[in-house]
Amino acid sequence: MLSNKPVNHFSLSAYQVELLPMAQTHQDLLRNWRNQDEIRRQMLSDEPISEEQQQAWFKKTQLDPKQLHWVIKFRDQFIGATNVKSLENGNTVEQTSLLEPGLYIGERRYQGNIIAFAPTLAMYDFCFDQLGTKRFRAVVKRSNQNALSYNQKLGYAIVDDEELMVLELDVESYRQATAPIKQFLSRTRNAK
Amino acid sequence: MDTQQKLQQAFSDALGIPPEKVIDGLTYNTIPEWDSTAHMVLIAELENVFDVMLDTDDIIDMSSVAQAKLILQKYDVSFA
Repeated sequence: MLSNKPVNHFSLSAYQVELLPMAQTHQDLLRNWRNQDEIRRQMLSDEPISEEQQQAWFKKTQLDPKQLHWVIKFRDQFIGATNVKSLENGNTVEQTSLLEPGLYIGERRYQGNIIAFAPTLAMYDFCFDQLGTKRFRAVVKRSNQNALSYNQKLGYAIVDDEELMVLELDVESYRQATAPIKQFLSRTRNAK
Repeated sequence: MDTQQKLQQAFSDALGIPPEKVIDGLTYNTIPEWDSTAHMVLIAELENVFDVMLDTDDIIDMSSVAQAKLILQKYDVSFA
């Protein structure tokens, strides 16, 4: 059931990035990123998105308590988008124990950069620590080796090894796997 | 061993690649050996070899061997 007001009121700031609730003003940028060939190819639904489709998607999504969407800001620039969706029928993001994450880095210079871990770390910390999430489940195309490698560095384990691979992550595996990278992304800036 | 050779050896040790592959144009994430995990090992190795403590912005920006030299120069490491 949809809410009568936007559901994402969580602004997050950690590991050098800010996650801001997705808003109307971000839609053109999001659509441009989403329609880049290299991003579209890795999506489970890879058709280009029209402006009308984007608007319809945003109007529904911002009121859906089963999902939360953020835009990622780094050094005063928007660089990508991230989200979580509840995988339990009838349960909102705040009620569910199982979430599916989504991420894309739209700015090419930061794709594959170590900063690409920061929005995920900020979002997962928030979900595990504030929302009480127990597990994440990611579904990745087998051909998307970058995403597989990325998820495994976060501590995900493969639970279904088909063409669409299913990976799962619990909080202990996450904390153990991400401790070193968190340390590097948590240093003060301009420390010298 | 001069600083250029020290840098080359640090990259070679951290990434597990031959020193001759460590050229200015070598870029993060373009070879399997230089992924995010190796990047952290590399940062630790450079900090140890050159006795510096890099800040997070420099860790993020260290995207090539050439860039590593520029960043280390900010920490008074000379590649003359």
